[in-house]
Amino acid sequence: MKRKRLLWLMILSVALIGFVTAAPASAARTVKVGFVYIMSGPFSAYGQFAKQGAELAVDEINSKGGIQGHKVKAYFEDSTGKPDVAIRAIRKLVYQDKVDILIGLDSSGVAKTVVPSIPQMKTPLIITHAATPDVTGSVCNPYVFRISVNLAQNVKAAALLASGTDVKTWTTIGPDYAFGHQSWEYFEKYLKPMKPGVAFLPQSEVAFPPFKTTDFSSYINKVMQSKADGVLVSLWGGNLIDFVRQARDMGFFDGKRQVLMTLGAATEVLTALGDKMPEGIWVGTRYWFLANDSAINKHFVKAYKDRFGAYPSYNAQGAYAALYTYKAAVEKAGSVNKQKVIKALSGLTVEVPVGTITIRKGDHQALTDATWGKTAADPNYPIRILKPIKIFKSTEVTPSVKDTGCKM
Amino acid sequence: MESFIINLLNGLSWGMLLFLISVGLTTVFGVLGVLNFAHGSLFMLGAYLCMQMMHFVPSFWAGLLTGPLLVAILGVVIERLLLRRIYGRDITFQLLLTFAILLVLDDAVRMIWGPGYHVVDPPTILSGVFSIFSRTYPVYRVFLVVAGPLIGLVLWSFFQLTRWGKIIRAAAVDREMAEGIGIRVPILFTAVFGLGAWLAAVGGALAAPHQSLAPSMGERIIIESFIVVVSGGMGSFPGAFVGALLLGLLESFGTVFLGRAQMAIPYILLATVLLIRPRGFFGREV
Repeated sequence: MKRKRLLWLMILSVALIGFVTAAPASAARTVKVGFVYIMSGPFSAYGQFAKQGAELAVDEINSKGGIQGHKVKAYFEDSTGKPDVAIRAIRKLVYQDKVDILIGLDSSGVAKTVVPSIPQMKTPLIITHAATPDVTGSVCNPYVFRISVNLAQNVKAAALLASGTDVKTWTTIGPDYAFGHQSWEYFEKYLKPMKPGVAFLPQSEVAFPPFKTTDFSSYINKVMQSKADGVLVSLWGGNLIDFVRQARDMGFFDGKRQVLMTLGAATEVLTALGDKMPEGIWVGTRYWFLANDSAINKHFVKAYKDRFGAYPSYNAQGAYAALYTYKAAVEKAGSVNKQKVIKALSGLTVEVPVGTITIRKGDHQALTDATWGKTAADPNYPIRILKPIKIFKSTEVTPSVKDTGCKM
Repeated sequence: MESFIINLLNGLSWGMLLFLISVGLTTVFGVLGVLNFAHGSLFMLGAYLCMQMMHFVPSFWAGLLTGPLLVAILGVVIERLLLRRIYGRDITFQLLLTFAILLVLDDAVRMIWGPGYHVVDPPTILSGVFSIFSRTYPVYRVFLVVAGPLIGLVLWSFFQLTRWGKIIRAAAVDREMAEGIGIRVPILFTAVFGLGAWLAAVGGALAAPHQSLAPSMGERIIIESFIVVVSGGMGSFPGAFVGALLLGLLESFGTVFLGRAQMAIPYILLATVLLIRPRGFFGREV
């Protein structure tokens, strides 16, 4: 018995010695990537999709030799959608797991709180979902980048669409936090000069249901009761699903009003709604899987569909694209050194599934096209698709660096 | 006028859902003395199981019948295996235990059905709309307005008029005395917790055609249910009814007349009741 144990101990120590001596022999170290998304609570779907996109990218990159020979290791943390939890998660990733790059952030509220403390951690952050203009505007800093369409770009596209309609008075229904309010504010700011005659309902008459709302009927009633003939809907996720189903039953989509949904073309929303999503409604998104015929996009959609059995949502694309963006930056810098990567990310042009994007030097916002489209039924797809698709060029919808208020 | 009617119906139908959930919560508290944090998760499970059963038998009624029954069975298991052990103990044990059950159930739902959103269609007979003057209103919500009081009436008659109901009330008032005259209180407690779970699940199944299903949908509703139960009077049946209706109507009309201040309504209601009548509308003298 005792001898046996001794034998085991010897084998173990030999193995350990082998391991320790072997480790420095391989020059490649692992590149650690920290992903922070909402993994729990009512919006956990977004985190799960991002995780799927991230896992796909990690496996693809590792099977092709990693990033400059370094294997990629992913760490996932739950932001829960709350700023204090998110900052704790990020600190853990940076100080404990020692990640080389941070990727993620869903909620604008979280992003706005987290972004100012990123420079202390001296680690680059690539935002893939949170849309508030502030993180590449008033609170921008050299460590923070965003590769997804931001609120200003998305709403500018909405305003361009709105200017082509004959709507006389606009109102809004949006979530009662920064995102909903800023969507409305920017919409008014952009549309007013484009179409001077158009009116906007005052703050007291528009509808901002709280995030936790599940019964939207009284808000729908409020909007239908108003004299507005155009509605900007900035609800998203489960809120949007509940809203569409209840609004439909109450005759909201009776053709008497023009409806623009800034995040209506999210695949998770369209999948849940199925044929309950009315046709002929203008919906926007950060990424639409059918909007781009490039080889990269086709490969991504197919690989994602084969592995997870669903069409990729914009959050899946965001996480996937972010890792490839990081890879391109490392290759440009020739190093995984954080400072060198930051330098490389600024001004980087890279092709990802959504299209070719350029991270602007002045504010670190990606110049990326804004996608909108009209919902339509198609027998080849179980969900509503976009037909026609309308792509707004990044140059058309991105405010100038001066207008963003960003000072690096 | 039409807007008033629509707001009234909105408030009543939402109030009725709140009532179904709160009445289970308040009954369990009244009889077992347990404040069940996991009640919202049972509500969620009711909705998910209703959806699941509809995959096997494509009828909402089948889902409504079987889904909550499964949740009631789960409730019985929870009571026998877990809750039973902590009756005599400090209240913190209850909070910890029921909160743990909440976390386990929420994660279980995420593992089984995934993190995405699901929707449940209302039964064909209730899926239409009818017109109120120039506007339309979903039939399903009117069904909720009718179904709520009906279930309430059946429950009330059960508690007031039947022998079992009287036994339950007796056990709630004085457990030892009830045991002394030969009532088997442990079995009674199991049954009552099962009933509470069933009520939560019925609320969930009835809410399913009206709101999307997602993990932790229970967390959103449990807070309002607590407010209803506390302002109605802990353990009080009519209190839950009045509290739920009041909250539903206040929220519905508040949206139109108060704008953003609407968010504060549940809490203002709670604070006012606690200041003026700390025991709630129908609370018993402690």
